[in-house]
Amino acid sequence: MNPATVKAMFKREMLDILRDKKTVAMMILLPVLLYPLLIVGMVLVMNAVASSQEEKEYKVAFDLDNSIQSELSDILEEQSDKIGYQLSVLSKAQVEESLAEDESDDAEEKENKDIYEQALDAKKLNAFLRQTEDGSFEICYLSAQSDSSIARSGLTDLMTLYRDRVREELLKEAGLAPDEILKAADYSSQDLSSTEESVGYQIGSFLPFLIITSVLLGAMYPAIDVTAGEKERGTLETLLTMPVSNLEMILSKFLSVSVIASVSAILNVVSMGCAIAFLVSGSIAATEELNLSINFGVFVPGVLFTIVVMIFFAMLITALCMCTCIFAGSFKEANNYITPLMLVVMIASYAAIIPNVELTQQTALIPVVNVSLMIKSLFGLTNDYALYGMVLFANVAYSLLAVLVLSRLYNSEAVLFADGFTSVHIFNGRSDMKKGQMPGGGDVILVLAATLLLMFYIGVGAAGLGFYGVALQQAVVLACPLVYAWYIKADKKRLFSLNKPQMAAVLGGIFMFIGAFFLAMILGVVLMPLFPQSTENVMDLSNFLMGHNKLLTVAIIALMPALGEELLFRGFLMGTLKEKTKPVMAIAVTAILFAAYHMSVLRFFTVGVIGLSFTIAAYKSGSIYVSMLMHFCNNLVACLVDWYPDTIGQIETANLSDAGQTGLFFLVLIGALLAVIVGYILLDHAEKKRLKKQ
Amino acid sequence: MIRAEGLTKQFERTVLSEEEKKKNKKKKSKKESFLAVDHVSFEVQSGEILGVLGANGAGKTTLLRMLGSLMKPTEGSVSIIDKNGELVTDPIEQKRNIGYLSGNTKLYHRLSVREMLMMLAEIYGIDKQKAEDRVSEISRVLDMDGFIDNRIERLSTGQTQRATIARTLIHEPDIYIFDEPTLGLDIISADAIVSFMKTQKDEGKTVLYSTHYLEEAQFLCDRILIINKGRVICEGSPDQIIKRFEADNLRDAFHKVMKNADELTKSAATDTADQLKEDQSEETSGQDEEVEK
Repeated sequence: MNPATVKAMFKREMLDILRDKKTVAMMILLPVLLYPLLIVGMVLVMNAVASSQEEKEYKVAFDLDNSIQSELSDILEEQSDKIGYQLSVLSKAQVEESLAEDESDDAEEKENKDIYEQALDAKKLNAFLRQTEDGSFEICYLSAQSDSSIARSGLTDLMTLYRDRVREELLKEAGLAPDEILKAADYSSQDLSSTEESVGYQIGSFLPFLIITSVLLGAMYPAIDVTAGEKERGTLETLLTMPVSNLEMILSKFLSVSVIASVSAILNVVSMGCAIAFLVSGSIAATEELNLSINFGVFVPGVLFTIVVMIFFAMLITALCMCTCIFAGSFKEANNYITPLMLVVMIASYAAIIPNVELTQQTALIPVVNVSLMIKSLFGLTNDYALYGMVLFANVAYSLLAVLVLSRLYNSEAVLFADGFTSVHIFNGRSDMKKGQMPGGGDVILVLAATLLLMFYIGVGAAGLGFYGVALQQAVVLACPLVYAWYIKADKKRLFSLNKPQMAAVLGGIFMFIGAFFLAMILGVVLMPLFPQSTENVMDLSNFLMGHNKLLTVAIIALMPALGEELLFRGFLMGTLKEKTKPVMAIAVTAILFAAYHMSVLRFFTVGVIGLSFTIAAYKSGSIYVSMLMHFCNNLVACLVDWYPDTIGQIETANLSDAGQTGLFFLVLIGALLAVIVGYILLDHAEKKRLKKQ
Repeated sequence: MIRAEGLTKQFERTVLSEEEKKKNKKKKSKKESFLAVDHVSFEVQSGEILGVLGANGAGKTTLLRMLGSLMKPTEGSVSIIDKNGELVTDPIEQKRNIGYLSGNTKLYHRLSVREMLMMLAEIYGIDKQKAEDRVSEISRVLDMDGFIDNRIERLSTGQTQRATIARTLIHEPDIYIFDEPTLGLDIISADAIVSFMKTQKDEGKTVLYSTHYLEEAQFLCDRILIINKGRVICEGSPDQIIKRFEADNLRDAFHKVMKNADELTKSAATDTADQLKEDQSEETSGQDEEVEK
């Protein structure tokens, strides 16, 4: 790599980007003009509203005894300074009069309501007071109308004054000291946090979102411009004629977009900061009694660290945007691809707002979320620099990884010279779908991601449903690949391998399963000491199954996964991979993803072994029914173990690791291996026969 | 001098056979790999213009892209002997000796012609003073003084074409590869390019170019390759080809060649197959060397 070349290319990219009006508008005009205008404008509007609320008179009425009415009117006159808003009291006659002007009202409605209620509905009255049968008072208002809610708070002030006066009189009559009694056990809240802390907390709750969004907006347009834009304008081929290596090319592009994204974010923050400073100084001038002296010095380390992390974060976002956009052939197409990415990143940036989500060793590794939480924590004046270091490290690592992927993509002629991305079909309308097509790599990723996401949401949402929540999750796993395949009009028979299996293949599958099952069991026993927490999962399952109808249990625990998970993994995933890659790759990727899908470290290995046997069987037999049968058997065994712990359970949990049982251990191991070999031979035989037929 | 040895490029495409089209339901389109360029070997000497002819989709652009190191060949290699008589095999170094131009090599719209040329000079490692001299020289030769400081997006088609040629000149290459350079140009702009190529040839440069204009090729080329389905089916000087097919001119000869294209392609395939057997050991060792580098 020649630094001079990168420098020359970088200069060219920057010049090119900065001369694009769209980018400049997004990067400079938006932050420099929009935020201050928005904030100042908002404050002006709010002030105007507040002052108009103070000046306005709110119409209220008292549906009460005359004596109470006059007393309330007295308080209103004497202590109007203690009531927040100006209330004008209408007499009953005035209320009736105002209603008489308005005759369009429904007669039926009038019958059921008294005149005060009618007047409230007709907005002739903002709120009124009435007394219930047991003597307590009611403030009647409409919560959906802001004027009415304000009148209510005015009446609340009034009623508080009235209540205190009545109680005071009653106590006096009883010969007691009202001051002592009414002020007994009085309390108030006192905020002991420093001004800096509370200001920092406020800033920390919105700054992450602002910074992440501005990095994203700053990176988006230039990233599209240097990838898809370059393809669209036809300068990519020109670039390729120059004596520049791929690495030099992407580095220059990557650096220029990163710089733009960082500068954009800094501009945003500075402009926002100025707007806030303007606001604060304004409010200090307005309310002199409020002593707002903030020592902004305490935020300096936080701001500096935020800027450092932000630069690496900008690199990560840049690389992600470029990786996405390079598949597009045009600006418009790139925009389509980048929208989902934007949504995900923006939603993740909200992490700072969620209460109780704190920066921990786990969250420090989640991209985007970690930056959001770190900024919140920094401005909350927490000095957890070990965690901040982790966030920094994670961002550096992720951005390096993304750049690596990017350089691989830029090496691929298929990507560079392609007109656009064709492996995600769902972006086209259904009428454009070619009948009997096969999904692409992008489709698979989309379906897997959608399924997992839906399962996660159902898992959270249907936590109370227990058993049926699981059924719902399984239904989603079943539905996702089927609906997607239907939408893109895929060749379902070919994609999902919906072929009638040969007898030999079925037999082979069963042998294969038995062997794999015992192998997984042995592996589980060997690995168990390494992952002790895994036993808890097993206990959970048996509690879970208890007390349900056996037929239903089999349907939900054994049958549905056998259908859904097989259609997703051995069907959609493997069916697609089979077309695109070598058999070994297709089988390995399917088995690994299937194991990872079970989300447990120990089960990654045990499920991995069993899943591998399913995958091989489905591949060799060319029929998904074989692996469905194997999957069903596997889950059925889990149910049986649970129902008959004394008999079948004994076999399962036979303590193979006991010193005295070494003989048994090897016996089972050899038996399992034999079963796998026999199964494989049978499957291989079936495959050869099947291929010959074709 | 530039030499192609057994250049081959394999692509994947979606193919529907006739039977499958009829059924359509049962079987669907299948990804199939095919050879866009199939074992093409030739040499172009200094002071020579080689024309590459062929129908659309014959593999001309892919062949020229591989020669210009824009694409990596699946098999075979390109070697260049530069003006100092040294053998150049590294693709990026090769690009320093090549001026490549095609319909797809557009210019950066937002830069001025001068900015673009200076940027290129920097990438090619020409020092600043020398680059400035070179730019003013090119500007004089191509008559660009009137618009050299305008942004490229504001130039007329003819001006843009001159700027495009200027781009290929900045690093003084001794090999020019032009992919359909006169396509879609008016007669004056096209003639400017034709005379440019002629001048370069007279200066002892190597020129390779593809075209659909056979009169132009007949007038300009020292030697011609006709390509069909990625294979060279006819090679020779325009006069030789016209004589061989007993034609009046190159256009007529081209039609006659294309009529027998399928037969010629097949025989070209058997030729290469025979040649392959001989070359195989040699070639594989050559590839190994490249990998090591």
